[in-house]
Amino acid sequence: MIKINNVVKNFSDIKAVDGINADISEGSVFGLVGTNGAGKSTLMRMLAGVLKPDSGQIIIDGMSVYENEEVKKQIIYISDEQYFFPNYTADECRAFYAGIYDNYDNELFDELIGKMGLDKRRKVNTFSKGMKKQLSIILGVCAHPKYLLCDETFDGLDPVMRQAVKKLFIAMMEDYNMTPIIASHNLRELEDICEHVGLLHKGGILFNRDLEEMKLNIHKVQCIFKDADGRADFEKNTDIMSTSVRGSMYTYTIRGGVDEIRARLDDIDMIFYELLPLSLEEIFISETEVVGYDIKNIID
Amino acid sequence: MISIDYSDKSPIYEQVLRKMENLIVNGVLAPDDKMPSVRNLAIELSINPNTIQRAYGELERKGYIYTVKGRGNFVCGSDKWRSTKVEALEKQLIQVLRELKNVNVDGDHIKKIVDECLGGKNNDKNQ
Repeated sequence: MIKINNVVKNFSDIKAVDGINADISEGSVFGLVGTNGAGKSTLMRMLAGVLKPDSGQIIIDGMSVYENEEVKKQIIYISDEQYFFPNYTADECRAFYAGIYDNYDNELFDELIGKMGLDKRRKVNTFSKGMKKQLSIILGVCAHPKYLLCDETFDGLDPVMRQAVKKLFIAMMEDYNMTPIIASHNLRELEDICEHVGLLHKGGILFNRDLEEMKLNIHKVQCIFKDADGRADFEKNTDIMSTSVRGSMYTYTIRGGVDEIRARLDDIDMIFYELLPLSLEEIFISETEVVGYDIKNIID
Repeated sequence: MISIDYSDKSPIYEQVLRKMENLIVNGVLAPDDKMPSVRNLAIELSINPNTIQRAYGELERKGYIYTVKGRGNFVCGSDKWRSTKVEALEKQLIQVLRELKNVNVDGDHIKKIVDECLGGKNNDKNQ
């Protein structure tokens, strides 16, 4: 269990993380999404115990993580820019990790390196960017960490490799009770694998919710009303996040469950309506739009 | 066994639920057949095991499957899930009828379709 209590981090006058509260429970996959510069990586580095929060606490399994070896033994952090020692081969990297983490799984390392088609005797600096990512994932997973922090790990992998890595994570969750925490911009990808999603914006957390529940509680409705009274009645009693009009067709983004919205729509006399679920990407856009992060403002 | 449609925006557990339900209703998974294990299905589809677990939980609640501790999930006989399925299909039928009404198809024509459908052999097993 990771508890993030009112954590603040500033870099001189830049507010990177501004009072975040969140709980991340074990055995589920936590997805961290956010607008650019929202503080995702800073939060990740604090979770990994590399950075010290200015105020607030990060408590992992009841202990503070910063500079705490006992806790950090259970954590692997795969940063978005991996660092490898100069002139090290893949196997020498493994030996380094095995020296730090107890119970390092050397057999699994050999198996995965073989399956992914990497050569463990080759020098890491001759690897391509994607291959370095693969290597760092393998190095991390073989430590059997309790918490695996991935900062934009899927970005830069080809589609086949992304599927393979997802399958690997799932197997590790089932067999070793690993809890992955994944920061990514690839919302499509997060949708398959995450159960909880935290959305960061300007250093604060906009929401931290169960993904399926979130998807069940936000909908898009396209409808044509018979008259203005019906529309006024509908708009008055519904939690509307955004509206757009094209001719007589109204499109709303609405908070609420399917049955509840359907009941309301059936009550009102209208020519046509259609209820559509939203993808995580659309939810992301609607939620950040509400707080004023809007692409229209950027282009106009 | 089943596949996930990534362009479908409905939640993934709902897709798993719907597809498994279809397999059971159509008899692909017969009563007392073992369901694929949560772990294997999760790895096969590369989706979260808890999502599969959630779909299985819902299947159990609706009477499609039963759990044997330590051995896995098994398919129930149709007497267990028939009424839930009929209720769901009725809802779908009402929805379609409403849409037909919206496009001004007259009642006699709809009745004719219903009679034809019930009179002849029903080969459409998909829905």
